[in-house]
Amino acid sequence: MMTAAIEYFQFVLAPQILIGLVLGVAVILVALGLTIIFGLLDVINMSHGEFYALGAFIALALASVGLPFWLLLLLVPLIMLPVGYIVERGLIQRVFHSGERHVTTLLLTFGLGLVMEDAFRLVFGPNPQKPPVPIAGAIDVFGVFLPLYRLFLILGGAAVVALVALVVYRTRLGAMVRAAAFDRHMAASLGVPVQHVYAGAFAFGVALAGLAGVMLAPIYSVFPTMGRDFILMAFTVVIVGGMGSIAGVVVAGLLLTQVQAISSLYISPVWSDPIVFGIMVIMLMVRPQGLFGRLGHG
Amino acid sequence: MTYKTTILAALLSATALVSAQSVQAADPIKIGVVTPLSGTYAGIGQQVRWGLDLATKEVNAAGGIMGRPVELIYEDEEANPSVAVQKADKLFQVNKVDFLTGTVNSGSTLAVGQVAERAGKLIATTVSFADSITADKCSPNVFRVNARAGQQSAALAVWLSKEKPKANVFYLGPDYEMGRSTVAAFKASAEKVGAASTGEVFAPLDSKDYTQYFGQMRAAKPQVLYTSVAGNDTVRLLTQMQEFGLLNNLTVVGASGTVTAQNLPAIGKAAEGFVTGVGYSAEIDTPENKKFVAAFKAANKIDPDLYGADSYGLIYAYKAAVEKAKSTETDKVRTAFNDLKWQTPQGEKTLRAGDHQAVQTMYVVRVTGGKFSIVGQVAGTDAIGPDACTRF
Repeated sequence: MMTAAIEYFQFVLAPQILIGLVLGVAVILVALGLTIIFGLLDVINMSHGEFYALGAFIALALASVGLPFWLLLLLVPLIMLPVGYIVERGLIQRVFHSGERHVTTLLLTFGLGLVMEDAFRLVFGPNPQKPPVPIAGAIDVFGVFLPLYRLFLILGGAAVVALVALVVYRTRLGAMVRAAAFDRHMAASLGVPVQHVYAGAFAFGVALAGLAGVMLAPIYSVFPTMGRDFILMAFTVVIVGGMGSIAGVVVAGLLLTQVQAISSLYISPVWSDPIVFGIMVIMLMVRPQGLFGRLGHG
Repeated sequence: MTYKTTILAALLSATALVSAQSVQAADPIKIGVVTPLSGTYAGIGQQVRWGLDLATKEVNAAGGIMGRPVELIYEDEEANPSVAVQKADKLFQVNKVDFLTGTVNSGSTLAVGQVAERAGKLIATTVSFADSITADKCSPNVFRVNARAGQQSAALAVWLSKEKPKANVFYLGPDYEMGRSTVAAFKASAEKVGAASTGEVFAPLDSKDYTQYFGQMRAAKPQVLYTSVAGNDTVRLLTQMQEFGLLNNLTVVGASGTVTAQNLPAIGKAAEGFVTGVGYSAEIDTPENKKFVAAFKAANKIDPDLYGADSYGLIYAYKAAVEKAKSTETDKVRTAFNDLKWQTPQGEKTLRAGDHQAVQTMYVVRVTGGKFSIVGQVAGTDAIGPDACTRF
């Protein structure tokens, strides 16, 4: 009886939890940029999934001219920064100051996403492509099989989250960002260059989406509609965690993907999406602000 | 997100319309094509388009059908039955097409079949696998010119019984009509030849991560995995299995749409040794096929796969039927289709009158060195199975 329970844990439950953890990190990486953009700019970025795809396609193009994966981890977010900055200054700022800000920015980013998705298909073709897994091999974690690249994703993802939290909560730059999020007029009158902070924060969020694209491409492959893959889950995580909260994204991301992973052991995996969205609906009913508060707010 | 795809589809169809209108002049025969030009199955839709375009070009160059040119009108169905229904309705009502084809997703074919019945028109699928389309859910207005799941699995089961007698088989299919029917069909064929079933799992279409099913798969200790996922889903399934070391000492067999020229480059080494039963292979060594492959490659710079070949063949079937009927009227063409024999790149096909299913020679192919090679062949009459259609 006891050995059966241990075997069940080792061969069924533990691998499932570990696999759910990888998926959780993937979702968190995509949701991180989304929550920062919402928390600071109050913009729901509907094209976030396409920026994630853009990162993956840029990585694919650069890898084809011989650049190593490890360099791309650094290079792609750096390329995405000016892209995000230009999109914010050139497009979002134009509709940002109208009274209907939520509607106009939502429609704008939504349209941008459509255009980007079509552009990917025109430039790269409709067929999937797959970069090689950068680290081959696997390890045994207490008898549970885990490919090394997945282990890297878990550790790398944790490092990215820690780094982002460090920048937002522990640096002067982060303080300016949080101040602008809390009260932009007060921040502006105290000498914070609010326009640049906004564009910079959007660029930062987009760069994070690009980084997620580079990191996840070897596992999930690259194709024009890949932007739709994680975006619903990422939005759900941002809503449940609290729009704009970094801690919220991490907690909700891990929680929801574990619910999916473990529930799919017992009921048909087709139900894992309805369960997660059901949790989101309940959350919106009983605690609409999410698990944690907004960025910059107590 | 659905909103997004609908708008996307609207934009796409607008551009498709503009390009189609400028093609032909006087009184053409119009064929509507409702096929996925975006989404997971876009690669399949592309082959459908290439096959239809090539055959139409050839037919028009040779004087058309009864002297009338053929015009193709494309609509994007996104492999989504509800979108396919709207697009088919539009093609029948607004564009007044004479005939319709292109549906990929079996659910789309079944749904569009009902639209065709209401409109009093005929459709043919060149891709859908689900047996039910020409069995218990057959329609007097629906024809299928490609091999259905039952034909593919009958051919594959013959191979399996020779190469891996009495194997333990695990099944993984996408959770919709096609997935469930392909798994059921192969399971029946395989058990008949002595294989043991050790478990099955159905994953949602467009699954990101198949690793959550690996525990079940490992515990079942199969020697053979049968899968009927397609498109990008196969890329993810096989490469993730390779990542987790699950492909060692395992023979992977599958539906003919599982690994194709579209996704083979992306799957890479993880596709090595994959075996399937299929109605067409570019490797078929006949003069007719060599000529077809050369023309297809010249036009599209890529080999045709089963979808391209079967779609190409359909235009000639429709030409033969209309010329036999001397009309494009639904009832006359339907009668002409019954037991029609016509030539395709893969040889002669016959449309069985009892269930509107094409009977054809079946092939077993294996991926070796990144290319498909033919490893076996089964006669059309041995693979077709009984007529299970009772509606007409």
